[in-house]
Amino acid sequence: MAALFALPNELRISSLYARFPCREQQIRSLATLLSVRAAPCRNIILHGLEATGKTSITKALLESLSTEPEAANGTANEDSIHESLRFAIIKSAECITGRHLLEQTVGVVAKAVEWKGAIGRCENLSQLVVELSRLLSSWTTSGEGQHRFVLVFDGIDHQRDAPPTLLQALARLGEIIPSLTTLFLVTSPRPQFLHFPGVPHILFPSYTKSELLLILALQLPSPLLPTGEKDTRETYTRFLSAVYDSLSKHSGRDLLSFRHVASQLWPRFIRPILSGELSPTPFSRLLLANRSLFQDDSVLVSSIISTPPPTSLSQAGTTKTKQHTLANLLPHTSRLLLIASYLASYNPPRLDTVLFMKTSLQKRRKKGGGTALTRTTKASASKSRKISRKLLGPQAFVLERMLAIFHAIKEESRGARGRGSVNGSADMQTAIATLCSLRLLLRVGNADVLDGGARYRVAVGWEVIRNIGRSVGVEVEKWIGD
Amino acid sequence: MSVDEETHSHAGFDTLDHQQVYVYTPANAPDSANRPAKRRKVAGVQGSISADGPAQILRFEPLLSGLESSECVALRHQTFERAWLKTETQVQTILDDANEDTLEDVTAFVHSTSKARRFSERVPTGFIVTGPNISSQSPLFRQLSSRLRTEINGPAVVLRSSDASNLKAVLKQLIRDSITQSLSRGDENGLRAEQDGRKLLNYDLETLHSYVEAHGSESVVIAFQDSEAFDSSLISELVKLISSWADRIPFVLLFGIATSLDLFRERLPSSASRLLNGVQFDVEQTSSLLERIFQKAVAGYEVPLRLGSGLVSGLMERQDDHIQSVQSFVAALKYAYMCHFYGNPLSFLCDSSVGDDHPNLIMSHHIEVIRMLPSFRGMLGKLVDNKQLARAKALLKDGKCLQQEIEKSQKSRAILITQLLRAMSLIASSSQEPVEKIGLYVTAFRGELAESEHVKRVLDSIKRMTPDDLLNFIQILSNAIDNGCTETGLAGWADEDDELFPQMRELHSQVSALAVHSIKSGIPIRSSYAIHNKGLRTTVIAQRVQLSYENSTLTDQDKEFTTLVDRLIGHLKVYFSQLANPQELFLNEAWLYDWTLPQKSAFTPRPREAIELALSTPIRYLSCDCCESIEGLSSTHPPTAMLYQMYLETGSLINIFDLWSAFFEMVGGGEEQKCDERDALVMFYRGLADLKSLGMVKQSKKKADHLAKLAWKGL
Repeated sequence: MAALFALPNELRISSLYARFPCREQQIRSLATLLSVRAAPCRNIILHGLEATGKTSITKALLESLSTEPEAANGTANEDSIHESLRFAIIKSAECITGRHLLEQTVGVVAKAVEWKGAIGRCENLSQLVVELSRLLSSWTTSGEGQHRFVLVFDGIDHQRDAPPTLLQALARLGEIIPSLTTLFLVTSPRPQFLHFPGVPHILFPSYTKSELLLILALQLPSPLLPTGEKDTRETYTRFLSAVYDSLSKHSGRDLLSFRHVASQLWPRFIRPILSGELSPTPFSRLLLANRSLFQDDSVLVSSIISTPPPTSLSQAGTTKTKQHTLANLLPHTSRLLLIASYLASYNPPRLDTVLFMKTSLQKRRKKGGGTALTRTTKASASKSRKISRKLLGPQAFVLERMLAIFHAIKEESRGARGRGSVNGSADMQTAIATLCSLRLLLRVGNADVLDGGARYRVAVGWEVIRNIGRSVGVEVEKWIGD
Repeated sequence: MSVDEETHSHAGFDTLDHQQVYVYTPANAPDSANRPAKRRKVAGVQGSISADGPAQILRFEPLLSGLESSECVALRHQTFERAWLKTETQVQTILDDANEDTLEDVTAFVHSTSKARRFSERVPTGFIVTGPNISSQSPLFRQLSSRLRTEINGPAVVLRSSDASNLKAVLKQLIRDSITQSLSRGDENGLRAEQDGRKLLNYDLETLHSYVEAHGSESVVIAFQDSEAFDSSLISELVKLISSWADRIPFVLLFGIATSLDLFRERLPSSASRLLNGVQFDVEQTSSLLERIFQKAVAGYEVPLRLGSGLVSGLMERQDDHIQSVQSFVAALKYAYMCHFYGNPLSFLCDSSVGDDHPNLIMSHHIEVIRMLPSFRGMLGKLVDNKQLARAKALLKDGKCLQQEIEKSQKSRAILITQLLRAMSLIASSSQEPVEKIGLYVTAFRGELAESEHVKRVLDSIKRMTPDDLLNFIQILSNAIDNGCTETGLAGWADEDDELFPQMRELHSQVSALAVHSIKSGIPIRSSYAIHNKGLRTTVIAQRVQLSYENSTLTDQDKEFTTLVDRLIGHLKVYFSQLANPQELFLNEAWLYDWTLPQKSAFTPRPREAIELALSTPIRYLSCDCCESIEGLSSTHPPTAMLYQMYLETGSLINIFDLWSAFFEMVGGGEEQKCDERDALVMFYRGLADLKSLGMVKQSKKKADHLAKLAWKGL
């Protein structure tokens, strides 16, 4: 007769230690809390930030625990207690609604217990309890020994359209259904979010620098150094440390982004070695030669374009793409409208008369570019508000005001003389509607489009506007107040 | 409209169209006489017209106050059909080819992802940068999806922003579309809404997964046609969802991007954008596509109807200023054709072959019309200036004589058009920097090619050339003459040309002899212009000194080369100055369409300006006697117009009582009491309601009894 209590098989778990370095403690506690003959409990919460190994460790551990009986069959055959553990993982990211989650749960559980037969619909939590107990009771009664079923809800705190009592109800499943463990994988749990006392929490902390370096150094980088594997490993470790200190320390400390940055920089870093200019041994010289790499933070911005365009386009495409900016693709009127919208969004309406009236134009010119108002109200403005308007974000404006600004800047734009008047033409409205559907202009509020009071807001930034302004010969700086 | 015209205008009306019930007679019934006349192209125009002339349905109105014979009307119609059909097919082939490269690239990309798929949570994505012309997106994506469906094993779904309100709806549509695609191919077990005895929800991607497994699909393509118009949170949710399924379903995403890739990325949260693994594809931009269509359909060699310079520049300005869209250009082109053939009684002369077949078509009223044409008057004026009075008199009096002149004009037109196109292609090929083809066309059809900047630039560039450059230049010219121009469909004319081409040959041999000589002697040859140019760069005093110095040291070879350059320039000048202005050619009205007014009124409406004009000066529309031409307020104006003019003078907040008292003062006529107060109030209310429905005023929230002013005049 074997003891009622037995720690999980150390041999099996130790293989996991190698797969997931720096996570021994978490694996050990989780294994204890999960295995049938150790200290199984009804609810477990695993929490930690992104890329700390919650999902993968849980999955690997459960896989190893569930296959244990068969593997250990030969040796532990004299044990009369036959233990079996099965599990089901439900990813909340794949469930569109709360009901979808419930349906998914039933489906996955049925698959795990090899249920043959029809499964009823599962529209709410009570039905879930009924269905689950039906499925699990048939499984527990089918065989001898101890049974335990582990239900894993991955990312349940980000579930879309969740019923309000979802989490609390799931936590109480174990009270109704015997031998069921519910595992919640969440990012950061609020205190008592299950409304249930005494739930064990296991924290998966973010990796520290030394841990990150250790994990990344396990895998060799893709282009090896010509001098061999040992040299590569040495250089790579020191390179990783440099990358961490310069870039990843301040942004993107998690494993995934660190790995991404490192994999992007490595081929550029070892280029001098591959071309034979430098040798890997004095690392400091290599670092010095590549110091621009560590100062450029553009690698941190995740790019959506990864590979160069396919061969047929690569030659012609590179020269062409330069010209295909928004500034020269939009029609002339649309460009001016966009500039007018920007000005309407970023200029306070009270400055309009100063900035755009023809009589005041003369005055501003004489004073040399700067608006008359900036000089006079500098003292008072500094008292009331110091934040630049550019930083406050775009404000909503009425269409009528933008059109007035449009007519003011139109005369300034390049080639304004030769073009006919556009006031009141349907083309203008078309252009505005097009800009809206391109999401360069945003409609604010839900007023009717035909309503004169409909409000808009510009959705492009300063850089874009300045380029567009230059393409039509409007210096936008001149029109920006304060 | 006369009674005669009215009956004709109903000729196209078929009562059968508006009948709810009718007796069905089988098509293969023996009597074919009752069948409705088919609109078909008849080979022998003359025969068909004489056979069933009156029975044939006239699509066009007879012009010349009904005097025009039905034959001519039918002929105009046929000429239009034929001309437009030809142009349309040309345009369509260009449009079909336009996206070919992009389609191929995208298909290759989707293929490559299905081959090189490995476990990764980053979803392979194609970004198709289409440019801000939204109307071109839908044909492109239609072509794309049909291409992908035939070439890729797996479903391809195009999503539009209009039918994607939330995640659930998108998924439903995605699943339904991808599964019905194979059902239409005759596959019955496509939809498996059940799995393991469990009924799946209709937005569960499990359905798609089992479908993909059952069919062994290599990739599931999801194309977002107008990605800007999608809610960005919806896109990011979809991307996350798709990425989490990417290990089971081979998803490929395609985004149609109208603005720019950076703007698109800025809208996505980084948690979504780092899941995308993208490749960018560029679509041929509208401007270059437009130029290709222009070259073929307007400036082409065999274009049936020529567009005048005014119209073309107007069209292009509109493209540049407002809409950059090929579709709208083609619509405008078609409208020009329609206007020409519908409204111009001489338009059947456009097709030069028609005149030969039907000598009797030109009736006395046509002759009358032709004598009224400005081009006829211009020709007469020239004849009188040249003292050919007898000829002028004959043209005025004798119809036969004019007939001959008409036939002659057909030939001279063909010659002129060919000359113009040849000259244009010469300039385009010989100019060193790329030439704006449309601008060139406009100049050429204004008859100003000889003095234009284009020619000047070419001639100036010749002066600065070294012998090698000059040889090259002459070679390019000869090639252009020899090969013609493929873009416009112009054939080479080396055989016909007995002036420029031989001259070029001769010059070429002479220059090459000089060049060989200079290589032997080792002294570079320059023309005096080139030296002159260099001298110009020094100071004024030094320049004078230097110039005389340089001139004196010109070698004989230099001098010879200079004369050759001069001769080449002379030849080219003569060649370009030979070109006449097509707008001065006799009978150009028949084949040159240059009205901008119909285009403007049809394609650029100005609703707001029209309303403002109607309200501020109602006489422009009413043309009544009472108002005369009084500017500003008048009690004779309609009440709404009166109110509007008062409204224009107010500030942004309008006190209703003030407005009413001003209005009553105006309507009631002060002391005279022209109008009852209650009647005036009715007029006031109605006028104000009109203004409100036009969106000019609304109730103000800031102040009681005040209206907010919403619209200003002239915007």
